[in-house]
Amino acid sequence: MIQKKAKFPLTQKNGKLLTLLFGLALITAIPFVERSPFIISVITLIMIFTIYASSWNLLAFSGQGSLGHAAFLGIGAFTAALLSIKFGAPPLVGLVVGGLISSGVGFLVGATCVRLKAWFLAMVTFGFSVIAIAFFSQYDSITSAITGFPPPLLVSTGQFYFLALAVATISVASIYWIMKSKSGIALKAIHGNELEAKMSGINTTKYKLLAFVVSTFFAGIAGCLYVQNLGYVQVSIFSPELSFLPLMMSVIGGLGTIEGPIIGSIIVVFIRDMLPSVDPHLQSAVGSLFPAVSNVGPPLRLLGLGIFLLVVVIFLPNGIASLLRRGYNYFITDKEQVKN
Amino acid sequence: MYTISTILQILFWGIASGCIYVLLATGLNLIFGVMKLVNFAHGQMLMVGAYIGFATSTSLGFNAYLSVPVSMACVAFIGIGVEKFAFRKVLGENKLKEIFVSLGLIYIFENIVVLIKGNSPERIESPFANFKIAIGGDISISYDRIIIVVIVAIVLVALALLMARTKIGLAMRATSQKNDAAKLMGININRIYMFSFALGAALAGAAGVLYGIIFSFDPYVGALPTIKAFAIIILGGLGSIPGAVLGGLLYGVAEQSAVFFFGGIWQDAVAFAVLIIVLVIRPNGIFGEKGE
Repeated sequence: MIQKKAKFPLTQKNGKLLTLLFGLALITAIPFVERSPFIISVITLIMIFTIYASSWNLLAFSGQGSLGHAAFLGIGAFTAALLSIKFGAPPLVGLVVGGLISSGVGFLVGATCVRLKAWFLAMVTFGFSVIAIAFFSQYDSITSAITGFPPPLLVSTGQFYFLALAVATISVASIYWIMKSKSGIALKAIHGNELEAKMSGINTTKYKLLAFVVSTFFAGIAGCLYVQNLGYVQVSIFSPELSFLPLMMSVIGGLGTIEGPIIGSIIVVFIRDMLPSVDPHLQSAVGSLFPAVSNVGPPLRLLGLGIFLLVVVIFLPNGIASLLRRGYNYFITDKEQVKN
Repeated sequence: MYTISTILQILFWGIASGCIYVLLATGLNLIFGVMKLVNFAHGQMLMVGAYIGFATSTSLGFNAYLSVPVSMACVAFIGIGVEKFAFRKVLGENKLKEIFVSLGLIYIFENIVVLIKGNSPERIESPFANFKIAIGGDISISYDRIIIVVIVAIVLVALALLMARTKIGLAMRATSQKNDAAKLMGININRIYMFSFALGAALAGAAGVLYGIIFSFDPYVGALPTIKAFAIIILGGLGSIPGAVLGGLLYGVAEQSAVFFFGGIWQDAVAFAVLIIVLVIRPNGIFGEKGE
């Protein structure tokens, strides 16, 4: 009983908010201290993937697992870049329009999929991303998707970090707000049991579509930012790897929680993009065992990622976030007990 | 332009590549039918099978077609391991979890193969690579494609006999209908699960060698065939083996026609478009029943 009581006292909520603000301030301060452009770009990538993974997570929160989220990432990226190149739209307008177009397409896909069950939906969304590849390659004369091109800069390189941080904060906050609102409860009910949710008067179609639209909107915005950080827009943005990453991040971090995708993107981006610095050591340590590859680092790291995902799914079904929560609750309740 | 021989060629190429998808889809269908398990890493079994075929035919000097049974046996063993250490832990829980486990397996298999073999594209050398039958004009059909169709037919007949005539086939059918009842009848469900998964994986292993004979492959080749196999299952109906055969052949022909009429870019997309349309009209597949 004491444990339950200690969960949400007011002071603790304030404490959480303060920690959050403090954390944000700390992240904002990083570029003033850390001068290495590599580190800054990796942190920016983490923030962009946080948006992307959170958007995927919101969809999974409603019980709909997408295996083709890269389609929306790409649609947002291409819309924004082409809009400012062909029509001279201000890049920041492109960012919003990219998200809107992406969510428009998301609405159509969602409306098509609304009757489908888990793995049928996964198939259709995957198929959709394959169709997107064909579509963008077919109209290469308009999209220049096959060769790719650098997107027009949203803001100067120095400011991009802060833009990404601001957008990530707003996105995560909005998704949090949706999850905690009445719609969020409806989505959770649908995830639990769709038929029962329908029976208790929830318009399941409406809420499932809502999750789709919001999720694809943020995926589109993440796409605009992603290609900014990457430096070019190309059809490879629709690749299955980019569709699988947000899933991996959400699952490793903690499915259906707000902090899960954040933790997950930190871990996954760290393993994928930050660790190349250890590759030479790996190569000199075990490289001779694998003569077929010139650099054993990337496959070894991805192998580790796969094993990590498997271990988390099997032994830690609620992700790393559940570990942190357990630790947090443990310490907080301990204090309360001492007081009592 | 569209002479009879072109159409014949499209048909035959479609049937030959369709046959490979049939093997893959049948294996997947078997696993799904018996275990109600969605294995998105099934295409990686095909990939591993192709590499085993490549290794036995180049290093050991086997005839490419003789490496089919070798690959089937090896991949079946891998399948047993995968079932025991990964899928059994999440079986019967949330369907999304099976997708997550598959994803982890995809990363694991792809990168193990990259580590061992590198990621350059390979192709299995067939002893009949230069033999063709001309069917009018400059159009011809290679021996390889004919042999592949024959091999697939033999494997499928053997599978059908196994399912219909043997005790273990009976047990598998019983488990697929109702696993609790099968358990009460004294069937060791876990062993049936293991056997079905190994059998499905073996079919994928055979498909892998055949795939490697007509197409070039690399460690990342598995993802699309998996999804195509799912598409075929959905077209043909869940759990129905004749449906999977018919669906696979139709799918192969549709894919080749798409290449011919719209260009290579659309090869994968058109098939998915068909799939999406089918699913929208009938959310459980053409012959699918309610449930799952």
